[in-house]
Amino acid sequence: MTGPARRNPIARAPEWLTALFGEPAKKFLSQADCEAVAARARGFAQGGGVTRLFVDSWWVGELRWALNRVSLASDRRNDELLLSRSIHGAGGLVTTNQIDDVSLEGAVRAAERIAHYQATNPEELPETPPRFDYLKTAIWSDATFGQPSSDRTVAAQRIIAPAEQAEMVSFGFLAVQAAGHAVIDPALGRPLYAPYTAAQCSMTVRDPQGVGSGWAGLSSYDWARIDPEALARRALEKCLASRHPVTIEPGRYTVVLESQAVHDLIRFVVNKFYGREEAERIPSPFHLRQNFSKLGLQIANGRITITQDPADPDLGVLPFSDDGQPVGPVTWVDHGFLTRLAHWRDYALKWLHENEPVVNRWDYRMAGGTTTVEEMIRSTERGLLVTRFSNIDVLDNDSLLMTGVTRDGLWLIEHGKISKAVKNLRFTESPLFVLNSVDMLGLPERVFSPGAPAIVPPLKAHDFSFTATIDAI
Amino acid sequence: MRVTRRGFLEAGTTTALLASVPPWLVASLPGRTPGRGGVVPPVTDADIRELALRAVDAARGAGAAYADVRLTHMYRRSIDSKRSVSDTEEMAVGVRVLFNGYWGFAAGPTWTADEVTRLGREAAAVAKVNAGGKPRFVELAQVSASKTGHWETPIRIDPFSVPIDEIMDFLMGINVYVGEAYPGIGTQTGCQFTRREEAFASTEGAYLTQVFTTTGAGLGILLENAPQGEQNGIGSDLLLPAARGWEYIRDNDAALRAEPSRLAAILEADWRLPWKPVDVGRYDLILDVAGMGGLLNATLGAATELDRALGYEANASGTSYLDDPLAMLGELQVASPIVTITGNRSAPGALATAQWDAEGVRPTDFALVKDGVLIDYLTTREAAGWLKETYAKRGMPVRSHGCANAQSALFASMLFPPNLRLEPGKEDTGLDDLVAGLDRGVYVRDLRLGVDFQQRDGWSVGGLFYEVKGGKRVARLAHAGLLFRTTDLWKALTALGGPKGFRWTPAGRTKGEPAQTVSYSVGAVPARFKQQTIIDSWRTA
Repeated sequence: MTGPARRNPIARAPEWLTALFGEPAKKFLSQADCEAVAARARGFAQGGGVTRLFVDSWWVGELRWALNRVSLASDRRNDELLLSRSIHGAGGLVTTNQIDDVSLEGAVRAAERIAHYQATNPEELPETPPRFDYLKTAIWSDATFGQPSSDRTVAAQRIIAPAEQAEMVSFGFLAVQAAGHAVIDPALGRPLYAPYTAAQCSMTVRDPQGVGSGWAGLSSYDWARIDPEALARRALEKCLASRHPVTIEPGRYTVVLESQAVHDLIRFVVNKFYGREEAERIPSPFHLRQNFSKLGLQIANGRITITQDPADPDLGVLPFSDDGQPVGPVTWVDHGFLTRLAHWRDYALKWLHENEPVVNRWDYRMAGGTTTVEEMIRSTERGLLVTRFSNIDVLDNDSLLMTGVTRDGLWLIEHGKISKAVKNLRFTESPLFVLNSVDMLGLPERVFSPGAPAIVPPLKAHDFSFTATIDAI
Repeated sequence: MRVTRRGFLEAGTTTALLASVPPWLVASLPGRTPGRGGVVPPVTDADIRELALRAVDAARGAGAAYADVRLTHMYRRSIDSKRSVSDTEEMAVGVRVLFNGYWGFAAGPTWTADEVTRLGREAAAVAKVNAGGKPRFVELAQVSASKTGHWETPIRIDPFSVPIDEIMDFLMGINVYVGEAYPGIGTQTGCQFTRREEAFASTEGAYLTQVFTTTGAGLGILLENAPQGEQNGIGSDLLLPAARGWEYIRDNDAALRAEPSRLAAILEADWRLPWKPVDVGRYDLILDVAGMGGLLNATLGAATELDRALGYEANASGTSYLDDPLAMLGELQVASPIVTITGNRSAPGALATAQWDAEGVRPTDFALVKDGVLIDYLTTREAAGWLKETYAKRGMPVRSHGCANAQSALFASMLFPPNLRLEPGKEDTGLDDLVAGLDRGVYVRDLRLGVDFQQRDGWSVGGLFYEVKGGKRVARLAHAGLLFRTTDLWKALTALGGPKGFRWTPAGRTKGEPAQTVSYSVGAVPARFKQQTIIDSWRTA
């Protein structure tokens, strides 16, 4: 193979690179950086057509601890580039994380070579510049970006201390991320760029004898909105209260699901809002019959409303999809009725005579009520309080029947009070069943969901199906 | 799974074929790549050594007691018979530093002298910040291996040196052949290659370079004459990804051409068997190689990771029921006496095979379970130190088994399974012999498992369950599932297939925070178990 001149990694870095990684090192690529990379890539293009560049350039600062001691502190960055060349509808796509001239030219040539193998597509939709409106979103936090690694150390010490004092052991992870996401596609009329931050903190506190375990966690774009010490108290309380669980018979139980447990199930439903075409064509949870989806039909209890809104100040998501399509406010489920399913722009143009696609960014807000978890417990004659679910597998894609286990705190409720810690149970149930058997809804709150923020209420539901006891604690 | 013809044709091979491949494999293996050869020097180049040493020097200069650096350069390419190609290149450099018992790590994509120096200092800085608190002790097990060297996956033909056109012609040739030889069978083919060049240097004076190559091919068929409601498509497991070159595919041309009719025969044999509701109860059970590999990987393979056993994964991928090494090692019966499980990084063609691990340790083959008794754990240099007293008590040396690995240099190395091997039985029996010897019971093809976060209790989430009577499959059991307790299942193993039934299959593990995924191979044989619980897995309470 012959290629362009070999890049010698020891040679003095070119000026633009020195500018990027001088002292102090830049943590991620700016809008100007991304546009400059795209311009250089376009300069290498041969044979006409369109050059598109998608960039996710990120930095993370992380801290992990185990057995009450920090086990790893890290500082990492990467530039993930997707470069596509499209000539008469034939496209080629390559992925790289190198932005020097030699690598970029190599990537452009590789994309063109791949495009060359593809048939041209005369039916390709005309590249009419869309008139999209992109929402302004709250996804940047200086507190997250500016956090020095010593802050993570202090946070970890404060998280570990109460567990150690109580002679329990703490394990956990906290991370802050700052990144720039760019979509540079001539068809969009302008380069899109969004800087964003993300933060997460989660921990498991265990009894050293292995007889109890508690968990707490939270994620947000804004580190300042995470209270590590409050999480530490919660995980420790759960651990202490979960010790020496007793075995109960599996069966159908009224359940009080904390918001994290609700999210663990409902995220599978939200993922299915993706794909209106799929729902019309093939058996899936929202497929009615050949060529018809369940749009317009009731799929959940009348109190269930699930929405997505990038401008929601509590969610914090990018205002555009990975390929630059606008992410708008969407009501997926409105008072129990399925009102929207995601689809691509070509589907919108072809079948709906609309310009804009409906994009599912996986983030969501589930509307709730005003009942507190304590009130839910008080109103329960016999039931179970669930902290969270784990190890979930879908058994039947058509009904979303799934199985998984409870984890880090499961308690029996008797006569309106928590009576005892019980051993974990395996469930076999569909989240759609839960959405139809809701009795009470609590105040929606942020949950631990890195990458796809979610605001979810705790809820009480009846007849949740537990099928086996498990010994894991 | 039923695939529509349109969906099958539209999705392209990668999607259609990989539908039968576990998701972690899709995440870790297929991809795109270079062809822009010569852009970066090969890993043996003196310039790369220079870069690596600079990073180590920077960390040492910043006060590190120990530091290592890894540089990884990865290419991935996938090509399918729909003329779809994808290429990925990823370069990374990561520096890991130990300072007063605290680890720091810094990584990035840029291979320049200034940047690796910055990373060396940064890793030392983040480690130091934590070292001011309570004491933490790390004792790295001694490394006895060579300090310098180079190793490559033994291959005959570098898949990246083969022109894309030649590969496409090869793949399309199979489709055309099958289309003519077997009307009614639609075929899709695809293949995927990876090459990972790695350099490792440490403050102990090691400088090691390796080149890992993997090759795999997928083949899927769609039968046009499938009866309504029956499974009409199936993927091949003939050439699953392995540490091989292009010859792995090219030399198996004849077998690949025969594969569609073999797969069609499997589906057609299934259609002839009636569906039956499952009669819940206890049955003797036979699992095939894929099922046994999955079982070994999900249960004993995960439970013997020492970091997991001591709780390090409690907030991530879970803990282990083998959580008391001091009491359990050499004492605990974890499986039937006919079960011996070993680990290695030496098996030809297996995905974790390497000359050195991600800490520069030269791995040796070792036993985890011997005659059903737990005798060792998977270890790294730090993890081996955790078992110092236990090993001393048992008169065993404190040494790493070479299980350090990482997805790429963007991730700090941690403990991952090596190639795991369930040793075959003495009698040379295969799957068919086992089934023929079963008077009444259940045989499961391609079992997929779920286990809890301590690998104690498990259940099936997929697989085709057959009722067996008088040594023959007589019916398919609708929605049947398996429910088991790990220790009980392994102890109930009564017969193992022999050497002729042995095969390696790719496996993967996702663990850690941040989560990273590493591939390796699991070698297994089919096996028979007595009296296992068969349930209706779709039944709710």
